[in-house]
Parts: sequence; C-alpha cells; structure tokens
Amino acid sequence: MSTSARSTSVGSATGAPVATDGARPATSTAVRRRSRRRRTRWVGLAFAALPLAVYALVVLVPLGQSVQYSFYTWDGVSTPSWAGFDNYRSFVTDPVLRSTLGHVLVLICFFALLPIVLGLLSAALLTRTKQPGMAVYRWIFFLPQVMTTVVIALVFKRIYAPDGPLNTALRAVGLDSLARTWLGDFTWALPALGLIGTWVTFGFCMVLFISGTSAISPELYDAARTDGAGPVREFFAVTLPGLRGQLAVALTLTITAALRTFDLVWITTHGGPGTSTLTPAVALYKAAFQNPQVGLAAAIGVVMAALCLVIAVVITRVSERD
Amino acid sequence: MVSKTERIVNYVVLTVMALLVLFPVGTFVVAALSPDRSGRPVKVSEFQWGNFATAWHDAGFARAITISIVIAVCVVAGQVLLALLGGYAFGVLGVVGDKVLFPIVLLGMMISLEAIIVPLYYQFRTFGLTNTLPGIILIHLGMGVPFGIFWMRAAFRALPRSAFESAEMDGAGPVRMLRSMAAPMAKPAVYTLILLSFMWTWNDYFLSLVFLHGSNQTATVALGVFQGRYVTQINLMAAGGLIVAAPVLVLYVVFQRKFISGMLAGAIKE
Repeated sequence: MSTSARSTSVGSATGAPVATDGARPATSTAVRRRSRRRRTRWVGLAFAALPLAVYALVVLVPLGQSVQYSFYTWDGVSTPSWAGFDNYRSFVTDPVLRSTLGHVLVLICFFALLPIVLGLLSAALLTRTKQPGMAVYRWIFFLPQVMTTVVIALVFKRIYAPDGPLNTALRAVGLDSLARTWLGDFTWALPALGLIGTWVTFGFCMVLFISGTSAISPELYDAARTDGAGPVREFFAVTLPGLRGQLAVALTLTITAALRTFDLVWITTHGGPGTSTLTPAVALYKAAFQNPQVGLAAAIGVVMAALCLVIAVVITRVSERD
Repeated sequence: MVSKTERIVNYVVLTVMALLVLFPVGTFVVAALSPDRSGRPVKVSEFQWGNFATAWHDAGFARAITISIVIAVCVVAGQVLLALLGGYAFGVLGVVGDKVLFPIVLLGMMISLEAIIVPLYYQFRTFGLTNTLPGIILIHLGMGVPFGIFWMRAAFRALPRSAFESAEMDGAGPVRMLRSMAAPMAKPAVYTLILLSFMWTWNDYFLSLVFLHGSNQTATVALGVFQGRYVTQINLMAAGGLIVAAPVLVLYVVFQRKFISGMLAGAIKE
C-alpha cells in the first residue's frame, strides 16, 4: 500500500520510477515462479533419489572399489596385501594375459570389421526405396540380437561339431582334409568363435545402415549421378559419408562386444584348447572365482572398462569431426 | 523409378543375408526334433516331439525356469518404477545438480558388468546376499537404472508441455501428475522398456553364473550345465536350448516393432 503510494507520487515527478512500478508485480511473480521452480527441482531430487541410490550402490561404489581392489593382492579369504601396479603390470609380464588382448584383436575383425563390411555392402546394393516385405527381413536380421548367447553358443557348437553340418558339407564336396574339430583346434577355434560373432552382429549392422541410407537426401544421389559418378564413386562420395553416425554406433557396439565376449567362449571352449580362445572376460572370471587372485581380476575389469570408454569416446570424436 | 531388375537384386541380396541368419537356427530346430541323438535331420513324420519333455525333465527346467520368471518379473516391475521416477524427475521436474548427476547416470550405460562384478561379489558375500534372489534382483535393477532414466526421460520430454501446464492449473501435485497423466501418456515407451528389460534379464548368463548356484540356478545357467552333461545327445541339448529361448522369441514374434525400435534407439542414444 505505502510503496504504491510513494511510487505514484515520485512517478509523477520524474517518470522513470513509473517503469519500476509497472515492473514490480511482474518481478515478484518471476521471483515466485523461480522459487517454485527451485522447489520442484528439490522435489525432482526426491523423485530421483531412489533410482540414484540403487545405481550408486550397485554401480558407482563397486566401480570405485574395483580400482581399490586392483592395487592389492588378495585370495578372497586372508588379509589383502598392497601390490601397487603389479596387477596391471601382469598385462605385460604374463604371456597368457597378454595373449587375451591379441585374441580380442582377432575377435574385433570378426565381430566388427566383417559385419560392417557386409552391412555396408548390402546397404549399397539395395535400392533406397520402400521394399514390400522389408519388415519380415528386418525381423530375421534382428533375430540373433534377441536370442540368449547360451543358445547361440549351442547352435554353433552343433554346427562345428566333428560330425556336424559344417564338416558334413565339407566332406560332401570332397574337402575331407578341411574337416576338423573346429572348436578343439588350436588354430581354428578362435576364428570359429569369431564367425559366431559375425553371425550375431551383421544383421544388426545391416538394419542400421539400411535405415541410415534411407535418411540420406535423394538430391545428393541425383547430384552425384549428374556429375557422372558410377555406383562405386557414388558409394564413397555419398553413401559412406552419410552413414557416418551409424558407422560410429556400429563400431562402438561391436568392438565393445568383442572385448567383452564371455558367454560364447565359456559355453563352447572355456578358453581352450590350451588358452587359445581365452578372452579378458574369461580370464577375469577365472581369476575372480576359480583360483582367486581377486586383485588381478579387478585390474582386468578396470582395464576392460577403461578400454570400452576410450573406444567409445575416440569413435564418437572421430565421427563428429568434419 | 525403381526398375524391375533393381527390385529383384534387392530381394536376392536380402534373401541371401536372411538365409545366412536362418540356416544355423534351422538346423538347430531340426536337430531338436530328431529321434537320433546326433541330431541327424529326419522326415517331418518322424519328428520326435517328446524330446522337449525329456529335456525339460532331465535338465530340471521346472525349477530353473520358475527362478528365471521370478527374477524377471521382479526386475521388470522394479525397473519400470525406478525409470518412471528417475525419468520424470530428470525430464519434467528438473533435479538439483542435474548438470552433474545426469552425465553420471549416462556414464552408467557405458560401464560394463566386468568392471564392477568382482567387488560386487565379495561385498554381497559379506552381507550374505550371494546366491539369493533379492541380491541378483538388486544388481539387475542398479545396472538398469541408466537406460531406464535415459529412456523414460526422453519419453516424458516428448509429451506436450501444455498437458502438464493444464494439470498444474488444476492443482495436481507431482505425484498425482506422474500417476494419472504422465505415465499413462507415456505408455508406449513403458511397454518397450518392459520388453527390453525382460529380455535382458531373461537372457543374462554371466551375472547368474557368478551369483546363483545349485537350486537357485536360472534357466540359462541350467541350460549351460545341461549341455555339459549331454554332450553326446545333441537332440536333447537342442530341445533344451529352444525351451530356454522360447519366452523371448514368442515376445519377439508378437512385439517385433517395439523390440527393434527400442534396441535401435537404445543403441543410438542421444
């Protein structure tokens, strides 16, 4: 009351305070609205508290503990002793552990490179039009994504069996010398496992790339064609750059999948014969739960997580660079 | 215009790729129905449907599948609740400190189980939570929070703002607004979340292998044990595999659109 009376009186004298007067009610509602928004943000925190607490308890705290464990030598029972970087050094000094990283590189060829090439090839061969019946094909291509890896492992264990379909087919065409116990062979077990990964991921890559090409503007293709580009140049000039985002996604997912392979190996070969198909995840499992070297297992986990993170970040950065 | 030859080339490419996917699964199905223990393919009339019953019985699936169902149902229900709360908080209400908190949540989608499994196991052992269903359910829930929040936040943000404003005018509090308006409007996203969450929980092998033993085995772990014991009886092994794969496959047949769009969106994120 008094303030309004004063402002009116002053306003009549200068004119400027009239503006303040007019702004005042607006400011106070703005303040009220802001304070209400601040209050809803606290309500928001209350809503988010439960999920955040579960997440912190199950993921964040153990993540920190993994790093802590990785600096100790511990058999899971007696008192842990400080080990410094010894567990990490094992990646260099222990030939078996070091070999797991080499195996991952082989698996990456099969899980990531081969499926992406196949996916790109089919995306390039397909005309970018609505194809009747595409839904059925998409259903088939995604099938390996919804099957549990245990069953996928069994499917291929049968395919690769000594008298399984693969060897039967080889013998039928007279290539008896090539028939072998694929998953029991020191040389062939790892590529055989890799091909299972190819089977799992190539359909996914295909669906990703096909939907990606349909989003590329047809004008770009028309322009390339009027420039006299053939199908090959058209692919490298238009399709490939247009699929950059999808390529980044496919690479990240498939490389991480290769790095993390556990179920497939555990069901089919247990890392054998010898250690020829041992992956970091299998080495981690053995170190954590079979003949406990808990610190080493934690270190393997930390290295795997760090690699996954670095791969994801690098691929995203590269794909976003112009 | 698309010429006829182009159309034919399209179908040839797609069909060859599709056969590459289907062939291994097909031989597996045929093996499951074979009366021969080597899984040799036979004529339709000689199919031995009893393999499924034998495998069901010999692998002890009755118990393992019950365990898997209990875990999956609890995880799906909990997952949806946590995702609704978190997604509504981050997507609609705003959260104090979300500039820091939200990236931390997103980071969780990149943290693999391997990075946390070792301390999880030894901590849970201290609290007597290993080899218990509540223990493994809690881990599934925690691992699922990042995707759940990410997914439901996007769904709530896609809803028209005006709906929230008019509900606010009517004096609806945040709880009532979530329950009677936002959640029902975001139903399609919730259904996709239910399907994906069920699939991930049902298909899990690593976590179940580490945390559950003996009579608490899930279907996937029981299948792993079963195939180890029945190496020479391929037909039963295949039948067991199909039993374990069946629930998700049936859902996939019925809800293929939701599965595919959900997995693509989940892969692409932002």
